[in-house]
Amino acid sequence: MTPVNSAGNSPGHPAASSMVISPSASIFAVWLRYFAVFRKDLYYGLVTTFVEPILYLGSFGFGLGSMIDHIEVDGRPLTYRAFILGGLVGQTLMFTAFFEGSYGGFIRMYYQKIFQAIAVTPVTLSEVLWGELLWCSSRAMLPAIVVLIIGIAIGDLSPWGCLIFLPIGFCAAVLFASLGLFVAALSKTIESISYPQYLLIFPMFLFCGVYFPIQQLPEPIRIGARLLPLTSVLSVAREFTLGTSYEWWAVPALLIWMGVLVFGSRRAMTRRLLA
Amino acid sequence: MSMGERSLEVVNLRKVYGLGGPDPVVAVDGLSLEVSRGECFGLLGPNGAGKSTTMKCITGFFAPTSGKVLIGGIDVHLEPKRARLELGVCAQDGNLDSDFNVVDQMVQFASFFGIAKREAKRRSDELLERFGLDKLRNRPIESLSGGQQRRLQVARALINRPRLLVLDEPSTGLDPEARRLVWDILLEWRKQGLGILLSTHYLEEAHRLCDRVAIIHHGLILTCDAPEVLIEREVGRQSIEEEMRPGVRVTRPPNLEDVYLKLTGASLSGAGDAT
Repeated sequence: MTPVNSAGNSPGHPAASSMVISPSASIFAVWLRYFAVFRKDLYYGLVTTFVEPILYLGSFGFGLGSMIDHIEVDGRPLTYRAFILGGLVGQTLMFTAFFEGSYGGFIRMYYQKIFQAIAVTPVTLSEVLWGELLWCSSRAMLPAIVVLIIGIAIGDLSPWGCLIFLPIGFCAAVLFASLGLFVAALSKTIESISYPQYLLIFPMFLFCGVYFPIQQLPEPIRIGARLLPLTSVLSVAREFTLGTSYEWWAVPALLIWMGVLVFGSRRAMTRRLLA
Repeated sequence: MSMGERSLEVVNLRKVYGLGGPDPVVAVDGLSLEVSRGECFGLLGPNGAGKSTTMKCITGFFAPTSGKVLIGGIDVHLEPKRARLELGVCAQDGNLDSDFNVVDQMVQFASFFGIAKREAKRRSDELLERFGLDKLRNRPIESLSGGQQRRLQVARALINRPRLLVLDEPSTGLDPEARRLVWDILLEWRKQGLGILLSTHYLEEAHRLCDRVAIIHHGLILTCDAPEVLIEREVGRQSIEEEMRPGVRVTRPPNLEDVYLKLTGASLSGAGDAT
């Protein structure tokens, strides 16, 4: 390549030097990088999007659900299948966002050094981290939307409720993606991501009310479960999609968790990269 | 833009790690340098001398503790998005994006500079051809040899037609033929006004490429001048006699390595602090 382009620009004379790329355009360029990788391997994308929710729904919703039939939530009867669908929305959001942020984020930051390569272009490190977070969150919305669509199709979930839930579901995705990135930033090795995975994510999956109402738990465990973010997410998800009763603390708790984790993960990642 | 304008100006750059902590480490201690258009400036020094920190402050990745870095007259820390439109970086550690093949890698990277896809493809084709990589254009990164990856990294750093190219150890892994090719390409670009900041351990390479070299140690420039001038000033003109192999004594003219060893060798034991 000759250094002079068709417009007669030499390296010292970039005609575009006055043009500054806006932060939102930079963040979108980072998001598009992830999307391009996702799009290249559609089989992988489809399997990881569809298989997990369908397996859980088949096993718990149709299998266990056929034995349990109806359960009572806040004094109202619900089919167990419908109850599980509401729970699966939160579970898929949590798993997908957390794993994309933690393992994916760690690989990109530590092995591929993608953050470091992009953050010396007109895209700043702050924008790289926003793009990463938004990608992990959007990625997590896909399987959650699959669950919602299945739920609407079999008549268990309210279509309007699902639609209204989408923005708050995205906030939940941001919450868990931030948690994943936080973990990635604090992990010395990729193996050490297992600690929060087993000690935080799996307990949330088992005790925060995906498969049974947390009212069934003994009081101390229930109080512990209340404090964990998945409980708020599930409360909001079921409120919108199934019409369960409104719990006043759920939305504020979700938003506070989100705010704290977004702030904490960005700070930790910045420190990790700049120290 | 006037011909006299600088590609790079570094004024009193200081970087202290762990400032305010119990054990602050001064990595760069008031370093100033400038690179004119078309000039190649070499930064030489032992590991731990502050080279890498200096390079990272110059690319705007690290915020300096104090001092200024201007790329094409624009402060990289005050206006990173504008200044880095003019910057190309080839980092020491391979940070090619292994999620993309050779040509997609280039086009993808161009998007961070706001370069439209068509133009990016055109530039990529030209650069890949010039760097002898066009036959590998659809190959995944992992299948490339170390030298091919290095060439691709230099080519990628030129996609935005920078005014300043920061090259950190560009010749690592390059065989003599590939090294010569890269040198030739850089020569063409320099004739068009590209300024280069080069960090290298190959003193022969520094001698050949650099108009001026600076030897840095403990975060300070010990001496800075044209290689020939430095040799004459620090070592003199007298030939040096040494035993190369057992029983084989040669007499040779003094070179840059003698200057380097003379200035840094005495305190090599002090190396190994922050880089």
